[in-house]
Amino acid sequence: MIDEQMAVFIGSGLRLAVPIIFAATGEMLSERAGVLNLSLDGMMLMSAFAAALTSWATGSPLAGVAAGVVVATAVAAVQAVLSVTLRANQLVVGIGFNILALGTTTFLYREIFGPLSRDPIPGLAQLNLPWLASIPVIGPALSSQTGLAYVSILMVIVTWLLLKYTSFGLAVRAVGEDPRAADKAGISVARTRYLGVLYAGALAGLGGAFMSVADSNTFTENMTKGAGYLAITAVIFGGWNPWYTLAACLLFGFATALQFLVPALQLDVPVALLLLLPYLLALIAIAGFVGKGRQPGALTIPFERGG
Amino acid sequence: MAILELSGLTKRFGAFTALDNISLGIERGEVHCLLGENGAGKSTLCNLIFGVHRPDAGTMVLSGEQFQPRGPAEALQRGIVMVHQHFSLVPNMSVAENLMLGRASAVLKPQDIIVRMGQLAAEYGLEIDPDALIEDLSVGERQRVEIIKCLLGDPRLLVLDEPTAVLQPDEIDALLAICRQVALRGKSVILVTHKLGEIGRVADRTTVLRQGRIIETVTMEGADMRALVRSMVGRDVQSAGSVLAAAVDIEGKVPAKSAMDAVDPTSSGEAVLQISDLVYRDAHGLARLDGLNLTVGSGEIVGIAGVEGNGQTELGLILAGLASPSTGAIVVGGTPVTDCTPQQITDAGVGIVPEDRHAVACIKELSVAENLFLGAIGKFSRFGLLDKSARRKAAEAMMREFDVRASSPDVSMASLSGGNQQKAVLARELSLDPLVFLLAAQPTRGLDVGAIEAVYNRIRAARDRGLGVLLISSELEELMAVSDRIAVIYRGKLVGELSAGSFSREAIGAMMSGHAHV
Amino acid sequence: MKIPKFAEVARGARFDVRPLQVMVPVISTVIALGIGVLIIASTGASVLGAIDAFWDGMAGSDFNIGASLNRAISLALVGLGFIFAGRANLTNVGGEGQIAMGGMFATAAALHGAGDLPLGLAFVVPLVVGTAAGALWGGLAGFLKAARGTNEVISTLLLSFIALPLVYWSVESFHLLRKPISDLSSLPESPEIPDTTKLPLLFPDNGSPLHIGLLIAAVAVVAVWLVLKHSPLGVRLRAVGLNATASRRAGMRTSLHVVLAMTVSGGFGGLAGAIMILGQQFYLTSDFSSGYGFDGLVVGLLSRGSAAGVVIGALLFGFLRSGSINMEISANVPSAVVLICQGLIVIIIAGSTILTNRKASR
Repeated sequence: MIDEQMAVFIGSGLRLAVPIIFAATGEMLSERAGVLNLSLDGMMLMSAFAAALTSWATGSPLAGVAAGVVVATAVAAVQAVLSVTLRANQLVVGIGFNILALGTTTFLYREIFGPLSRDPIPGLAQLNLPWLASIPVIGPALSSQTGLAYVSILMVIVTWLLLKYTSFGLAVRAVGEDPRAADKAGISVARTRYLGVLYAGALAGLGGAFMSVADSNTFTENMTKGAGYLAITAVIFGGWNPWYTLAACLLFGFATALQFLVPALQLDVPVALLLLLPYLLALIAIAGFVGKGRQPGALTIPFERGG
Repeated sequence: MAILELSGLTKRFGAFTALDNISLGIERGEVHCLLGENGAGKSTLCNLIFGVHRPDAGTMVLSGEQFQPRGPAEALQRGIVMVHQHFSLVPNMSVAENLMLGRASAVLKPQDIIVRMGQLAAEYGLEIDPDALIEDLSVGERQRVEIIKCLLGDPRLLVLDEPTAVLQPDEIDALLAICRQVALRGKSVILVTHKLGEIGRVADRTTVLRQGRIIETVTMEGADMRALVRSMVGRDVQSAGSVLAAAVDIEGKVPAKSAMDAVDPTSSGEAVLQISDLVYRDAHGLARLDGLNLTVGSGEIVGIAGVEGNGQTELGLILAGLASPSTGAIVVGGTPVTDCTPQQITDAGVGIVPEDRHAVACIKELSVAENLFLGAIGKFSRFGLLDKSARRKAAEAMMREFDVRASSPDVSMASLSGGNQQKAVLARELSLDPLVFLLAAQPTRGLDVGAIEAVYNRIRAARDRGLGVLLISSELEELMAVSDRIAVIYRGKLVGELSAGSFSREAIGAMMSGHAHV
Repeated sequence: MKIPKFAEVARGARFDVRPLQVMVPVISTVIALGIGVLIIASTGASVLGAIDAFWDGMAGSDFNIGASLNRAISLALVGLGFIFAGRANLTNVGGEGQIAMGGMFATAAALHGAGDLPLGLAFVVPLVVGTAAGALWGGLAGFLKAARGTNEVISTLLLSFIALPLVYWSVESFHLLRKPISDLSSLPESPEIPDTTKLPLLFPDNGSPLHIGLLIAAVAVVAVWLVLKHSPLGVRLRAVGLNATASRRAGMRTSLHVVLAMTVSGGFGGLAGAIMILGQQFYLTSDFSSGYGFDGLVVGLLSRGSAAGVVIGALLFGFLRSGSINMEISANVPSAVVLICQGLIVIIIAGSTILTNRKASR
């Protein structure tokens, strides 16, 4: 009985963590390049909707994932134009996009699906790897994931390799820390930042699509419920390091999953306190009371040559 | 054959013409110096060549091909490299990482860089630890990294913008030697400076710029240095007096202060500033000030000479109340002000003209009137609300008295020239009541000649009314022209002192480089 | 600075941007509303019918006008808080959390003792308690900024995400504010506050819900205008926001001003939350603050730091919100259209700062 609940808890913790892992990993790279996308939540929401719509229309959840990535990347492109080229306040633009995304998806959902639509949306299948499932306790939880969940871990590895071993990663770090120096070294600050934001957009797209076509097989209004903010929080809590960020995402995922486990175990812990836990941890982290992560020197600061 | 041919280059910033019809050829294997006063257009010219700015008119030809760089990337690709006044190194990355930055190869290969660094170390004596973090290096070491970065790509043309301003004398020697080495290997060097002494030691040819125009280009063999100075400043140095001499830094040509200053220095009275055993450690635990002792009497101007980075900035910040000393004591007119807030220091009668005018002295977005009364914003209020007309009247009176030229007290500080901004800062600080001591740190940096003279006069007048003045400056001639006494700071300590009449450039220079005690 | 003259000449040559600073919010609002109308048209709904329903919801009756104005009151207060912090170059995006804290503590005060107080104190005390709760929430962000250098945008946002579950907790937990389960309902919400703690209505006879919050907001607008534009404190806040080091050198206590600006800013949010509970909603639900924080933020952004601008923006959004709700009910056009318009306004205005900022560098 307990084992079974633990398996459910681990499974749901992982499922809740995956979208945050996608979004936070991309966002981490973008922030290392100096651009903070507060619009992450909006990108995920747009992607979740586009994926659901496409999957429903074509019957192919993979096409849905692709559509989600395309839509989120498009939002990221606009965000990049505003925050890199037009040097707009990145935070304000991000909030604007989140309002816009909520309005757009809510509107389109009601117009296209109608308020009462309950059509099932084709979703990605679980992998069900037998050799994984045989591991006690965590086995069933791991093997019941979709392939997309494994892709999220793959993206963490890819992002880590990019940052550490490629000239692109070096450029990203330089541009986020000291864009003037990077510019003088012949690196295009704008190009690097655009790529960073688009990368964040593409990964947020995977995260959003996961929510609708891999996790819940449906779209609901405002279904991200602030997952994008949680991802940004994870980046801060993870000290702008890919592995610590991954750990933060898992922590947040399991903290959220606790709200299902706690009542099942008949523990008297208010669910509300579990909900605010990630944010409280992140607040403590950015206030500099824990962790050694240092925020990139030029985070949120637009770059203008000369002057 | 010229490797770089500039013809008719013009660059304007708004209504201001920074460069006007510049034509110039840089030969292969030469060290070409650009000489000029502050604001003559030297840096702008470098920035055009390096693609930081684009010219409004004119053409550049590099090795026979049209050259219109759209950014530094293109200049780099064509073999032009530049060491800027402000280093462009990412502080929290290692030397090797900084050197790999911007170099084409998708996957990083630190090993290649380390091998190449070894070669350069052998060729030019440029040794440095590849794994050291930039933020842990000294200024001279950082410059070395900059130069290595430039030489890595085997460039055709190396541009150095005022590279010696931040260096110790022995580091300057090493740098000039490197320049010759680079030229010997068939590369060209453009070296920007306003110090004549350096030109004589390193240049093949020198181009003099004044107010954005080329005055002349001369071959250095057998050149008349005095003629160069004349074309640089536009009039004869001897007749122009100390101010111009200070600006061009001619060795040993300045008469002793007592001979050229008619005003008798008021005999110094009781001590208004007493600093004892002042120690300041930075975040890394390095002692930037290391047991500094200093007394300034009323009615005297004490100058602090030293190469930049020997603790002057820290001393200025501590006296302003913007940094806390680790140990030691500061007393102003009998009041201890060690570790006090800026307000308490002001109340003790200290006026501060800080080194960094833009970051510390004024708020450029606020109006002139607001800046003049920045420390006394509540002074003009009725029923808790601002009385703007009273403030305007008081500001106008102050602007008249101190000759601050602005169309109105309500225009923003940013719209004033540097000289008028500095006069406004002086007006504010010298109008403090009580006032017994004034710190003037690099008070003429970036100002034009007329404003410099006005600042000197204000400082002398303050001395004459009985204030004690501490003048921190990196311009030796400025100190010799204004001070009654010069103390030399080296590695956070005062290492010697000279009084008016016995100022000697050689003696001070030796002490500044830590080579001699007097 | 190598060339002191160049910067100043270049700056002097710039055109006067002040007309633009007024035009940009107006033009972006017009564009956004235009797009909103196009979207309505694209649904096949009658544009005229939608606008008619919209108008009816905004101002079709004394009741609707009163409801719209009540919305505008809360938005104006949050907007005032935004521009107060903005004067010190601080961006308070935590209106949502500050409203939540204000509403929650005002409810608690109203339910636990304030109702029996004499002489109108019954509603004044909850207002004060709510304001203080919001001030504390905003001030906490200010403290973190001053003491630890924490970016206030991120901290206010996180504090909002902490405040919302706290409200949820308070209405879900019986030993906090949740009302006892009766036969009629077991929803997670607080009991209704005592009548004495409800804000007095301005026009009790004609059925308008408009309450004395309008007077409070009017006083707040004038006070903020005076403080920001005509008081020494306003200059100090501006100085500290523009250049903390120079301000410190000039003897100002910069940390104090940062904390003060955020405290006052948060206090306005708390007051707005308290007024929402005491003026119209009368009991606490977990999502009572929904959207008001971000709407108030948009109002503050639109105003470009002017108190008069806040009034205009608050009225615009207050009436838009009322209208959109009725549009959804009567004309079957999703009210999300208004969200789309709001998002567009924020994005367009933020994107055009390059035109209106005199110096966008650094």
